[in-house]
Amino acid sequence: MALPVTSSGGREGGGTAGQVTSPDGPAVERVRPVSARHFVRLKLRVMGNSFRGQGWRVAMFAGSVIAGLWFAGTGFFLLAAPGLADEPTYALMTAAFGGGLLVLGWLLLPLVFFGVDETLDPARFALLPLSRRTLVTGLFAAALVSVPAVAALIAAGGLVLASGLLGGAAAALVAAVGVVAGLLLCVAASRAMTSAFATMLRSRRVRDLAAVLLAVLAALLGPLQIVALAAVRQADWDRLTGVARIVGWTPFGAPWTVGVDVAEGRAWAVPVKLLVTALTIGALLWWWSRSLESAMVGAAGGGPAKARSGPTRAGTGPAGARSGAVGQLFPWAVGWARRDRFGALVARECRYWWRDARRRANLITIAVVGIFVPVMVNFGGASFSTGDGTELAAPNSSPMLVSLSMVVVGALASVTLANQFGFDGSAYAANVVAGVSGRLELLARMAAFSVYVLPMLGVVAVLLGMVLGRPTWLGVMAGSLVASYGAGLAISAFVSVLGAYSLPETSNPFAMNSGAGVAKSFLALLSMLGAAAASVPMVVAAALLGDAWLWLAPPLGLAYGLGAALLGAYLAGDVLDRRTPELLTAITPRR
Amino acid sequence: MTDEHPALVLRGLAKQFDGKVAVAGVDLDVPAGSFYGLLGPNGAGKTTTLSMAVGLLRPDAGGARVLGHDVWADPVRAKQLLGVMPDGVRLFDRLSGAELLAYHGLLRGMDPAVVDQRAAELLDVLALGDAGRTLVVDYSAGMKKKIGLACALLHGPRLLVLDEPFEAVDPVSAALIRDILHRYVVGGGTVIFSSHVMEVVQRLCSHVAILAQGTIKRVGTLDEVRGDRSLEDVFVEVVGGRTATGEELAWLSR
Ligand SMILES: Nc1ncnc2c1ncn2[C@@H]1O[C@H](COP(=O)(O)OP(=O)(O)OP(=O)(O)O)[C@@H](O)[C@H]1O
Ligand SMILES: [Mg+2]
Repeated sequence: MALPVTSSGGREGGGTAGQVTSPDGPAVERVRPVSARHFVRLKLRVMGNSFRGQGWRVAMFAGSVIAGLWFAGTGFFLLAAPGLADEPTYALMTAAFGGGLLVLGWLLLPLVFFGVDETLDPARFALLPLSRRTLVTGLFAAALVSVPAVAALIAAGGLVLASGLLGGAAAALVAAVGVVAGLLLCVAASRAMTSAFATMLRSRRVRDLAAVLLAVLAALLGPLQIVALAAVRQADWDRLTGVARIVGWTPFGAPWTVGVDVAEGRAWAVPVKLLVTALTIGALLWWWSRSLESAMVGAAGGGPAKARSGPTRAGTGPAGARSGAVGQLFPWAVGWARRDRFGALVARECRYWWRDARRRANLITIAVVGIFVPVMVNFGGASFSTGDGTELAAPNSSPMLVSLSMVVVGALASVTLANQFGFDGSAYAANVVAGVSGRLELLARMAAFSVYVLPMLGVVAVLLGMVLGRPTWLGVMAGSLVASYGAGLAISAFVSVLGAYSLPETSNPFAMNSGAGVAKSFLALLSMLGAAAASVPMVVAAALLGDAWLWLAPPLGLAYGLGAALLGAYLAGDVLDRRTPELLTAITPRR
Repeated sequence: MTDEHPALVLRGLAKQFDGKVAVAGVDLDVPAGSFYGLLGPNGAGKTTTLSMAVGLLRPDAGGARVLGHDVWADPVRAKQLLGVMPDGVRLFDRLSGAELLAYHGLLRGMDPAVVDQRAAELLDVLALGDAGRTLVVDYSAGMKKKIGLACALLHGPRLLVLDEPFEAVDPVSAALIRDILHRYVVGGGTVIFSSHVMEVVQRLCSHVAILAQGTIKRVGTLDEVRGDRSLEDVFVEVVGGRTATGEELAWLSR
């Protein structure tokens, strides 16, 4: 039944091609120009085809639409609030800060968490005779056709309503122009950023620099939030309006504030602000086109610096203990592992956490979040009270709060494994063919990940203990951390076996299939909630047991976490054994 | 010892993708010690069949036995005896060639010293030693094929299942691979491989099966299948190919 339909579809396509190269004339002269429209249609077609016969993909997409609508609705009413409540004093602030937050989110969230939808992978266009300009505008237009972009547009529509209510039709019209320009700015910014970072992370030379840069960027979120909270608390509205005015002149606020400007009688500012926006968009697109080109060639080539040093080591080189193939496989950090199945799995995973750009980006995120969440939770009160002259080291913290923040960190870290098989893609076939048992597989993956994460979390705990000036809390922190991390590993083991999804095979570590962002958030949320729930006893104990807990927490937490992880690997391993081929199919990208 | 069971038995293997039949009931007996060629046009279902035979893809119906061990009921025993080189599947390609071999060897439960020795030998024979510590992801297509073959051979399996082993390989390497496989079969191993290169099949194989549209059209020893004609003629007749008449694609010549 399906066959005739697809083949007639194909013939239809052939028909349009026939118009381009009509049989009676020379073909080459009548090449029709390619416009952005074609890219948009291509993207819609690819998205549509990827849904065919894949119910869960449709469900994932529906989920992303619902999430997008929810966000859009909330944003709309928040941004429209000054207009609805007829409070012109807050209009400028809402527009500047709300819009600025939107831009910031588009800049950072794809890097730190969601990734970008690369339904149209630029590398696929490398062989087509398209000018760079055509390609960039086309890909840009295609990028606009996405759930987040539509959601952001709806949310920003609140600004149009607010301007209209405060300043009449003219203000609404100007605001609408501004909102559209702002959306273009957001999308251009996210594309330029991810593309630039992808290029940097691919290059062996600057990838470590890129990693640090990414971490710093993401870490900025923390202090920003603290500053914002403190500013709101101090409630000096005049000063805030001043800040909003300044933000309104930067690319972050310019497109969003034009409507308010008209409403408040500053129409002269509109052309200038729109010019600022247009120039920014132009610069971003130019930047994007630069890194796009290197992404297209980079995917085909690979770059010169890839050959690793010491080529003589493999064969006849200076014989040493490490010159054998087995010695090369095991990195220094897992030198302790036995040279057997388990050891091989751990060693290979360790190598992958470092060599695979996608995994490395995840490790960086953990490092950043690991520092930033506890600081947020434990110093959240400190920044309020500094105004009253209270000392910084007396935040509203307690063993329970510290324990809670550590639970969050541990859960967040473990959630990285929620799609651990998706990282491998079809390469996982090697393990299937070798008949690796599910328990061994999961245990090895947990162990390898822990080689990186446990030291990182340890550093976080020690740092926090020192900064808080409470070294005696170190035990509680370590206990909660390990407990929630272990419980999270167990839950992630199940999620990764049952809810695996494929990641696109591109050289961009931030690339995601359309809708996969939702799956990622959903599964991650599920695992995190599970891990946090499983660690509640640790927090409760911290609250109830008082000083005794300071000594009991480390051993009990360790036992709890270790036990949970082992039990998880044991039970999920059985599930894995039963559905190995299904898992392989789920994580194999369809090309 | 090998006489009791055929190396590979497929019974009624079938698979549909989204209602589209890819493999429609394949029965196949691969005798131990045979060199078996699986022929078929593009999209015939060769990859799908071989994937189901080695446990990479769960069939809708039917089963597979490797030297008497059911691939789905007793996967551990069956997989120990198998060496597989799948097609269109990535390797763990962020390892260097030597690292990849070490990984496969240890995964098969081999002794590290033996792994070291065999890996060095394989890299040397397949002319991959010069690549040194280059990651497999940066290998050329032919080099990837060769390292994939090395991974399948490393643990000395009794049955080799190879999907398109001669694709993208240069003539010298192809001759080398033929040589290796030939020695492997003479030494008591069994090989089944898919291909559309008639000369290779004709030169190497003791048995041939022609697969088209998901079913086996011809099966038997090479001489039985080809009779007194060339294998290519039989293949084209079975598959029912068309030849270009010169009318279509006229715009290609100007
Ligand atoms: N994952 C999949 N999803 C949907 N259809 C598939 C999938 N894999 C294979 N098919 C379909 O099954 C049929 C058989 O494919 P298969 O890959 O087994 O052919 P093949 O004989 O290996 O071809 P080739 O010689 O080109 O490698 C094809 O029509 C293909 O479209
Ligand atoms: Mg194939």
